[in-house]
Amino acid sequence: MDGATLHRIGLFIQYAWPLLLLLSTYVIGTIIEKRHFSSIRQREQDCIAMPVVSFDTMPDDWQAGASTLVTGSIVISLDYFKRVVAGLRALFGGRIKTYEPLLDRARREAVLRMIEDAQSQGFDAVFNVRLQTSRLANSWGEGNSVAGVEMLAFGTAVKLGSGLAPGPERS
Amino acid sequence: MKHVPRQPRDGVNVSTTHPLAEAGTLIAGLAALFVVFVLLTVFLVEVVLYFVPAEKEADLFSSWLPDDLETVSPDDERLVATQALVDGLALLWPESPYEFRVEIDNSDVANALAFPGGLIVVTRGLLDDAETENELAFVLGHELGHYHNRDHIRALGRGAVLALFFAVTTRSDVSGLGLNVGDLTLRSFGRKQELAADEFGLALVNQHYGHVRDAWRMFERWQEESGSPSNAGAIAAYTSTHPQTADRIRRLEQLAMREGWLLDGPVTALAW
Repeated sequence: MDGATLHRIGLFIQYAWPLLLLLSTYVIGTIIEKRHFSSIRQREQDCIAMPVVSFDTMPDDWQAGASTLVTGSIVISLDYFKRVVAGLRALFGGRIKTYEPLLDRARREAVLRMIEDAQSQGFDAVFNVRLQTSRLANSWGEGNSVAGVEMLAFGTAVKLGSGLAPGPERS
Repeated sequence: MKHVPRQPRDGVNVSTTHPLAEAGTLIAGLAALFVVFVLLTVFLVEVVLYFVPAEKEADLFSSWLPDDLETVSPDDERLVATQALVDGLALLWPESPYEFRVEIDNSDVANALAFPGGLIVVTRGLLDDAETENELAFVLGHELGHYHNRDHIRALGRGAVLALFFAVTTRSDVSGLGLNVGDLTLRSFGRKQELAADEFGLALVNQHYGHVRDAWRMFERWQEESGSPSNAGAIAAYTSTHPQTADRIRRLEQLAMREGWLLDGPVTALAW
């Protein structure tokens, strides 16, 4: 291999590689995101009958037989494409639109996992649902760069007294 | 209380803008910003060149030295000889407002640099590589060409654009890509300046020795050593600051031919 070929390879790596990385992470990231959203929609449909509310006290007509803390958490990361576009956005300001679907997925997935936690233990409803986000720092970049976010959903799951389970047909 | 089951709605918390459209808008914005930077700097540099004539510049920087220079002692024989060669060449450019000072930087990489105020820095590597005075004279003449065209001030402007652009983009992950593209654009300006400096330098050498033999002999040796083919490709040429060595040699030959300068003559040995 002569010097000119090596030089061309060097140029390719220097200029084409970032673009290829950008495009391929966009394609892969989009596929993953679409799949995740369709899974989320399906599972939301499956557990639609379970009341999940954010009241911090139990509604008066619920009669709890048992209660426990249920949690659902997800750790989710950006793809390179989202990160680059967000980086550009950070120059000019404005809504970081590429982050919005990511955080929407995180919120809904966390809530779903919390519901699944409650269902698996035989609970009927969850109240006082709260969401919490924390940033996970990367070890590189002096700990300032972001590896991803954790979204935590938690609430109080209750078993409702017999015949008192609230549902669409009850009031 | 009645529980009304409802699925979370899509699209409430997510903008409908297509991510690629978002990326395209932002990249276009960044490119526009860069163009503005470049134009502004070109304008500012021209303003500086207008308000700070060469005489003023020579005066302002007359005793200035870059901090990171590893100079040799003032009585070094190679330094004395190189200074004498520069002085000899400068005699052929009587309108020059500069008093040229030569310093030798203790570096292995063969290079010569033109700093503001008439400070020419040659590296030890360059002096080691030079086999005849004619070879060295052309490199020095080339640097004098930079002063003649005031490229060293323009180069400062170029550095300023890149530094500014780097400062803006460095906090985002696009800095690498943006800098590459920006640097690429600016480098083509650099190459035109190098060729113009070559022409000035060769004319000085021809006047000084009466011929241009061996003027670019050092380039030919570098080219033979690197073993690269005569044409490394258009992209490669576009991305280098200096013109491709082969292209440079060809242009020098054409220039000598056109001007009718002698390609043969007695070669002067180095003074050391």
